[in-house]
Amino acid sequence: MTANHQFYYNPDEYESERASNSYLMSLAVIMVGMPLPIVNFIASLIFYFSNRKSTDFVRWHCMQTLLAQIFILPGNAAAVYWTIAIFTDRTSISNIYIAYIITILLFNLIEFISTIHTAIETRKGKHIAWWFFGTLTDLFIKSKS
Amino acid sequence: MKKITYQFFTLAALFFGIWLLLSRIDFVKDFHIVQITKANERKLGDLILRDVKQNTGELESDSVKIFINGIKKRLCTANGIKDSSITIDIFLNEDVNAFALPGNHIIVYSALIEYCKNPEELCGVLAHEIAHIKHGDVIKKLTREIGFSMLTTIAGGNAGGQISRDVIKLLSSTAFDREQEEEADTAAVRMMANANIDPEYFADLLFRLSKEKNDVPKRLEWISTHPNSQDRSAEVLNLRKHFVFHSIPIASNIDWKNIENIISEEKRN
Repeated sequence: MTANHQFYYNPDEYESERASNSYLMSLAVIMVGMPLPIVNFIASLIFYFSNRKSTDFVRWHCMQTLLAQIFILPGNAAAVYWTIAIFTDRTSISNIYIAYIITILLFNLIEFISTIHTAIETRKGKHIAWWFFGTLTDLFIKSKS
Repeated sequence: MKKITYQFFTLAALFFGIWLLLSRIDFVKDFHIVQITKANERKLGDLILRDVKQNTGELESDSVKIFINGIKKRLCTANGIKDSSITIDIFLNEDVNAFALPGNHIIVYSALIEYCKNPEELCGVLAHEIAHIKHGDVIKKLTREIGFSMLTTIAGGNAGGQISRDVIKLLSSTAFDREQEEEADTAAVRMMANANIDPEYFADLLFRLSKEKNDVPKRLEWISTHPNSQDRSAEVLNLRKHFVFHSIPIASNIDWKNIENIISEEKRN
């Protein structure tokens, strides 16, 4: 899911820390984000905007976090809405629901592990690009290479 | 752009593929997931009620029905409960009893109305039963006692009348958990106080029931399903101190006597 690429320049210590923080930010609110997935997205959005004038390396990683949250938000929101509907008796538990919850948990787990891994690696100054999200980030943050 | 489109569709295919594959597993059956939806609960309650109506004489007097429903309305309105969500059915029966059925039904036997010295005492019982409904105690008790599969069989209309009668017997003659009873008592005191009805009347009823439980001529069924009534009476009085209310009578003594007379008249007929 992740790949170690070479960024077009070598980020300094400060940049690596800021970039790593963008991933940590999405992890910090994970307890709140479980019942309210939008919190994770808002946290990433705030962090992105507060770093939008930062260096390319920092912006790139903030954008990757943000895009991952944008894509995972509808999936998590659907899981929460579906669960609430079951608890309020508007629908009943079905195999499709249980399968969906397992699938979404699996994707969240992959995202969680990838986030921790990326946070550690970017802190060391390495450039980690995720499958699909890394490519998508490249479209938004034009590198000068 | 070609690369990103390929990656997007691969990711989407992976997500939907896993979901589709997992949904082929029958989790609901394999893990015996217990669920009774509100619709099933209503259906179950309606079936049981239909059976009670077939086997027990229903009280016909509109005056009594309006009076009892008036008490229910006062309780519900004061406690933010939709009045029409709970139905009370009164039956001519010599057991001093009232109990909740699935689907938000409360069965009240005529002997209980006659046993109560005033409408406030009956109000205490109704508040207690409404609390059981609101806490979902009825369906929990049924699931625990007779099992989920049997409940769904009854709700599906595939069970015989005997099973339905067994359910009525279970609900009318066995107690809830002690914890559930305590919670229902607490809720009943709160509901009465919110409706400006003194919970002391409920305590009086519990105390009288506990004192008279050994009287052979009286069939005090409600006490058998609500044990430790003396302690609970004391607890109700204790809880009462925590609420501020201005006691407003439900009806005059004359009105209550009229209700008792109507019931006696119907029983004679």
